[in-house]
Amino acid sequence: MPAYQLTVNGRSRTIDADAGTPLLWVLRDTLGLTGTKFGCGQGVCGACTVHVDGQAVRSCQTSLKEAAGHAVLTVEGLSRDGSHPVQKAWIAEDVAQCGYCQPGMIMSAAALLKRKAHPTDHDIDEAFADHICRCGTYPRIRKAVKRAAGGVK
Amino acid sequence: MTSRRDFLKVTGAAGAGLVLGLHLDAKPRPGEAAKATFHPNAFLAIRPDGTAQITVPKVEMGQGVRTALPLALAEELDLDWSRIEVATAQPGPEFKAMNTGGSTSVSTTWDALRRAGAAAREMLKGAAAAQWGVSIAQCRTEKGFVLGPDGKKLGYGALAEAAAKLPVPKDPPLKKPGEYRLLGKRTPRFDGPAIVTGKAVFGLDVRRPGQRFAAVLRCPVPGGQPKSWDEAKATSVRGVKAVLKVPTGIAVVADSTWAAFKGRDALAATATWDEGAARDFSSAALEARSRTALAGPADDARREGDPAKALAAAAKVLEAEYSFPYQAHVTVEPMNATAQVGADGTEMWVGSQSANRAQDRAAAAVGLKAEQLKVNVPLIGGGFGRRLGTDFSTEAAQVAKAAGGAVQVVWDREDDIRHDLHHPATLHRLRAGIDGAGALTAWTHRIAGPAVRRSWTGGQKAPSQASTETNGAYDIPYAIPAIAVDFAEVEAPTPLGWWRGIQIVPNVFARECFFDEVAHALGKDPLRFRLDLLGDRGKVKFGRDEADIRRLKKVLEVAAAKAGWGRKLPAGRGLGLACHAYDGRTYAAEVAEVSVVKGRLKVHKVTCAVDCGLVVNPAGLEAQVEGGIAFGLSALFSQITWEKGRTVQTGYHDFPVLRLGDMPLIETHIIPSAEAPSGMGEPPVPVAIPAVLNAVFAATGKRIRKVPIEGGLI
Repeated sequence: MPAYQLTVNGRSRTIDADAGTPLLWVLRDTLGLTGTKFGCGQGVCGACTVHVDGQAVRSCQTSLKEAAGHAVLTVEGLSRDGSHPVQKAWIAEDVAQCGYCQPGMIMSAAALLKRKAHPTDHDIDEAFADHICRCGTYPRIRKAVKRAAGGVK
Repeated sequence: MTSRRDFLKVTGAAGAGLVLGLHLDAKPRPGEAAKATFHPNAFLAIRPDGTAQITVPKVEMGQGVRTALPLALAEELDLDWSRIEVATAQPGPEFKAMNTGGSTSVSTTWDALRRAGAAAREMLKGAAAAQWGVSIAQCRTEKGFVLGPDGKKLGYGALAEAAAKLPVPKDPPLKKPGEYRLLGKRTPRFDGPAIVTGKAVFGLDVRRPGQRFAAVLRCPVPGGQPKSWDEAKATSVRGVKAVLKVPTGIAVVADSTWAAFKGRDALAATATWDEGAARDFSSAALEARSRTALAGPADDARREGDPAKALAAAAKVLEAEYSFPYQAHVTVEPMNATAQVGADGTEMWVGSQSANRAQDRAAAAVGLKAEQLKVNVPLIGGGFGRRLGTDFSTEAAQVAKAAGGAVQVVWDREDDIRHDLHHPATLHRLRAGIDGAGALTAWTHRIAGPAVRRSWTGGQKAPSQASTETNGAYDIPYAIPAIAVDFAEVEAPTPLGWWRGIQIVPNVFARECFFDEVAHALGKDPLRFRLDLLGDRGKVKFGRDEADIRRLKKVLEVAAAKAGWGRKLPAGRGLGLACHAYDGRTYAAEVAEVSVVKGRLKVHKVTCAVDCGLVVNPAGLEAQVEGGIAFGLSALFSQITWEKGRTVQTGYHDFPVLRLGDMPLIETHIIPSAEAPSGMGEPPVPVAIPAVLNAVFAATGKRIRKVPIEGGLI
């Protein structure tokens, strides 16, 4: 059984698990990084969103083998102290209700803003098309993304 | 010096209603003497450094109680909001009523929390007055300090020990609304910073030493049991440690969640089932039985005048059938619980809306007394009523007992949908009698379907079952001379449960849409017709509830005015409205603006006016309005259907939830009120569906009487 090497939040990690193990469970159960959430395991809800080499991906649909050799960023690694502009905007807009889906939302927002500094409403719709918030925090997510982009419109 | 015994004396001296019970553990921090912590009641502990820990007697699931309830206490005590810690209570003698549902958390705990804060404030002032040799009247409090004459100032922390020795006042003075510093102001969610950094601990994030993970293979038909299975298929999966028969199925225990899932899947391929009594259940069969029941015997919930006579005498009778499906909760955090039941400890961690029941039932299931099973409630990744159930917590205790050590039982999305405690489908038949002068003289509403109430009463029929099942229908607020609302129970073999907005959602949908039909049939404006039939009435009693019609009219008028009711809209666009007095306590009206293009519904905006009495936290209230409307709109497109005893749906792919791109603009208008606070978690939900469907009629002339919208297209 080969061990897999990957970088998680800037730290090199060696993981001894099956190649097909979803990255989600490596993060949560092997590394104890429980900020990345399990919502559906079907790639539909977005709760497990992390960055791999800067791209937002569904960690429940990304195998350990696929992640090996790449840089993984989770919500715990987004900033040391909650100071990432997206995190600050999330607090300013008081986005969270239960909060469970929010780490995934935040990771998608951070990836979107990296890709497009001033996203349109349409860009925001698309970036969150594969995310579910059952509490209905959507209006505030939209506002928070715009705030993080440098202004509330 | 305050000894532990003094502590008992202090708390024991308190008046009823202030102290929920004795608290022997003052929870000192490491290195801090317990005696120095001021702990006048179960809700509050003030540490020597001046920080205050507020223990919340309800559970947080997104509705904001870990913010709103501490605000009530902090207001009276004049705490520094930046120096509080919030803890969630544990079920036990101190906290016997942690049940969190029915939009009642603020209304049922607000007085006790305010009194707890006020009593502590008086004791701290007393301690300062004694120290300074001044009268209590010369002292006041501000942001964590007692202020006295001549610039005297002492922090609560410094006064804590002395305050703890004073008697707890029985009837401390409460602030007047004009004196509020925190209540009524926008306060961000207390847990926000932990949530955005991934540090917040939900049930699934609990990690105990040596913890293992388990998935349970359950019969896809509720109530079914495995007949045979090949354990070796599971144990050959790397990481699987044990395969155990438990009352709900077969548990696969592993060293990771993924290994447990894989082992469970391998096992599933080998299992044969005794599918049990529900094996032939189908939605089609239930609908046929419900349709029969629409014409059969029923239990009255409200009967006024002589509806049969009024209908017979009517110049015109309108009649319609409405239908609402089974629904699932689909909290994004699937069901889970972590338990340890053995010589090494008896403890459980579960996101339960019903922590006392969870404790009682799990303990009983594993042969413990309730007090032997310590229950911790982490944050809850969505409740919506699902977590009022105790099925998942009891199961986790059973798995943990069989496996030994700490075990987290994790449901996957399919488990969560298949073994939900669903909201059941109902059929509604409504009739309206109109006399020769065009007046609405009779209204009948028959509801047929399974009774959710039985899920809460051990399968028994409660005396008030018909009222519960017709809630939202029997309390139709309009003045109509003859009214009959009744419930015809139809049995269903699947487990049911409470769902955000409960039966009020389908019932208000049918009521407010049919009322709209009557208005249009009479050629009357739906707003004018509602206002006319609400009339000039004050408080009106409907069965067990009483509603203030003036407050309902007010929200209706405000929502309509703010939405620009009556303005001209382009073709294909429409406005629709609906209103309801939720349990006679919270008043909500919504106006939806929609368009329909090529059959596709777009909800552009929902304007909502609410009156829930005094508002503790407007930011939290608005979040509940937004979320409640999203929950209602979601239901327009989702349903659970049954075939051969199992749900057809298995995930978010076939049980859709509203996405960001489909979320309308929400505008919330709060009616200022000095009435006691009621609740906001559920009241925005039921009015959203009829507001939207009435707008669809305005836009297209098409009346939708069936949810979900068939094929998603109008």
